[in-house]
Amino acid sequence: MKNALKKWKLPAFMLGPFLVLIIMFFFLPVLLTAALAFTNMGPSMQWEFNAVQNFQKLFSDPNLTKILTNTAVYVGFTLLINVFFGLTLALFTTYFARKERHGLFFRTIWMLPRMSPPVVYALLWVWFFDPSEYGLLNGIRAIFFDLPPINIIGNEPMFIVILANGFIGASFGMIIFSSAIKSIPQDLFYAASVDGASHWSIIKDIIMPAIRWPFMFVTIWQLLSLLTSYEYILLITDGGPLNESEVLALYSYHKAFQHFEYGYGAAISLILVVIALICTFILWRFFRVKEMMRTSRID
Amino acid sequence: MKKLRILLAMIFAAVLVLAGCGGDKDSGSKSVDENTIVLKAQTAGGEVTRVDNLVKAAEILNKELEEKGEDIRVKVEPMYFEGSWQDYAKQFMLAHQAGKEPDIYATGHENIGWLADGGYIIPLDDLKDSEAYADIVYPVLWDAVTYKGKIWGALQDIEHRPVYYNKDMLRELGWSDEEIDSLSEQVKNGEFTLEDMTKLAEEAVEKGIAEHGIVHRPVEGTDFHYMLYNFGGQLYDADKNKIVFDKKAVEKQLGYFAEIAEKGLIPENLTNMEWSNIHRTVLNGKTLFYYGGLWNIFNWGEDPYHDELGKVDYEWVKEHFGMMLVPAAEKGGKPVTLSHPFVYVISSNTEHPDICKRLLEIVADPELQLKHAIDTFHLPITKDVTELEEFQKQEALYETMYMLEYTTFVPNHEDFPAYSQAVFEAIQAVELGKKTVEEAMADLEVQLKNDLGDQLIIKE
Repeated sequence: MKNALKKWKLPAFMLGPFLVLIIMFFFLPVLLTAALAFTNMGPSMQWEFNAVQNFQKLFSDPNLTKILTNTAVYVGFTLLINVFFGLTLALFTTYFARKERHGLFFRTIWMLPRMSPPVVYALLWVWFFDPSEYGLLNGIRAIFFDLPPINIIGNEPMFIVILANGFIGASFGMIIFSSAIKSIPQDLFYAASVDGASHWSIIKDIIMPAIRWPFMFVTIWQLLSLLTSYEYILLITDGGPLNESEVLALYSYHKAFQHFEYGYGAAISLILVVIALICTFILWRFFRVKEMMRTSRID
Repeated sequence: MKKLRILLAMIFAAVLVLAGCGGDKDSGSKSVDENTIVLKAQTAGGEVTRVDNLVKAAEILNKELEEKGEDIRVKVEPMYFEGSWQDYAKQFMLAHQAGKEPDIYATGHENIGWLADGGYIIPLDDLKDSEAYADIVYPVLWDAVTYKGKIWGALQDIEHRPVYYNKDMLRELGWSDEEIDSLSEQVKNGEFTLEDMTKLAEEAVEKGIAEHGIVHRPVEGTDFHYMLYNFGGQLYDADKNKIVFDKKAVEKQLGYFAEIAEKGLIPENLTNMEWSNIHRTVLNGKTLFYYGGLWNIFNWGEDPYHDELGKVDYEWVKEHFGMMLVPAAEKGGKPVTLSHPFVYVISSNTEHPDICKRLLEIVADPELQLKHAIDTFHLPITKDVTELEEFQKQEALYETMYMLEYTTFVPNHEDFPAYSQAVFEAIQAVELGKKTVEEAMADLEVQLKNDLGDQLIIKE
């Protein structure tokens, strides 16, 4: 007993304050949201337990199917861009770019949207695609090609939302993958060249196995953030027109902070938590994380 | 012993963190010195006179106090909010929970429902009998601040939402100046109907005089509901305090928007347009009719929407545009408009409710109202202002005052925003041709039943 106390004293002291913070700022809010989901809390901020009414309402909501489909499309395609485009960028700027400063230059360009405030980034998209003749794209069409204005955001809102999120998200994968590729011992590349390996073979047999961990990390991390992210959708289309770009996270936001149905909004986010857990579990199995933990592929 | 000390230290640290997160629940008011009471007043949007007038009202109150020999003084600290109306409501809600809200909060009347239900504000029944509000322009205005049989706010201003028509285009269509000037009168008398307006818009578009016949607001808002009233519909059952889904009228309302879209009278992407581009479309002569608001004249003077002239003043607007009521749906019927009175409410946390109430009486002073009316193109709420010579010189205001006789309001019910959003989405669907009116009606019914539950009455 005494030994156990002695063993845990220092970790407890070092980790204690953080544990308190985590409980206060992560764990308690989750519990609060879960509790809220079973109340009818509205703009008057009063709690009244209403059992599973919020969930009944959600499952009979005529918009639900559309919103779930949108969420799947949005997360799926944006994730593809985030991961594979990020990987492509990393390959181009680290593996293919011979000179470090060229790679650095292009990486910096792709980081620019990350550095700009989200509102500015989103507004640039909105201004560019504004459906009236005052929009930049429509202005260009009118001046140079004498074409009538088009309404891309209105007609293909999901496409624009995915592109906007994909481009900005790709820089995250790019940075992680770049550093992972850079950390592969150069000897392997030299050996492969001596053996006459093609680029494809080097990517497939050296780079990809070496970056499996970061690859899994970026995929799961981006998946979880995409499931709960809505700020660019909010700013670019606000879920419209007619809920065509409304995703579950944004729906929760709209219900809670636009219609002030806090209880209902909490119920929606609780469902989102369940979906996130299921997705993480599936990816965990998909990447065979247990296996990856067992052995190291290089060194 | 040592372990105990460490444990105690940790608990102490945690308590410190927790204590830092909490705040003392004092109201927004504070005292600079013992004799000065500082009250906070908040508004949103460009119409800053809404709170600046309260600052001046405090000065008047101080004179009163001095004359009475009282040694306290009142100071109003103005707060201006930038952001959407929803954010404005949300920050008040949260500030109130933290005890940091303004003592006096200026807001749209439709928020009174949740503000009262949530215990955010205090009832102000005495105000109705107050001398300051004795000569209210139209007694029906009190309905806008009445909820569950009590008065919750002091009326601040009022406006109406006219239809702007482009005079230049009417001239091109061969109308004489007399005909153009008498249009608003014809609408008022029910001679020029909604159908006539649609036909005229069609003619202008067909002849290539106007790119669009009609433009309305691009986002959800109260304007769409006057069309429901126009078709004889009902929005609210005050006795039962429930929202009404008046199916016949809503169908006609949707039918109207479907018709103008089908005939190509509105821009194809109207509900995706930015507000600034709506103003540009109107001012640069691209539409014959615009379902606007009186205060738009203020907006047009604030920002450069005209391609060549930039900001335009009222003289310019008057030369090129006329204002009329929303034409009646039937010949000989009553035209319609809608008002969305702004109101002052008093926080339930305030330490000085009596001083706040007195300020709300003083702020109805005709001179203060006049300044707000002229600066921001809103209408006063008491008759004494309308009798002032300076007010009568303001043609845009004085000559359209009659429209208030035809005005309607949206209800103060807490679920109205959900209703309004669902109806807007239905209008959007029929305009974009994604649903027929019948489909939109069926979906709307399901949506409203789901969103409003027992707060909805369905009127077949």
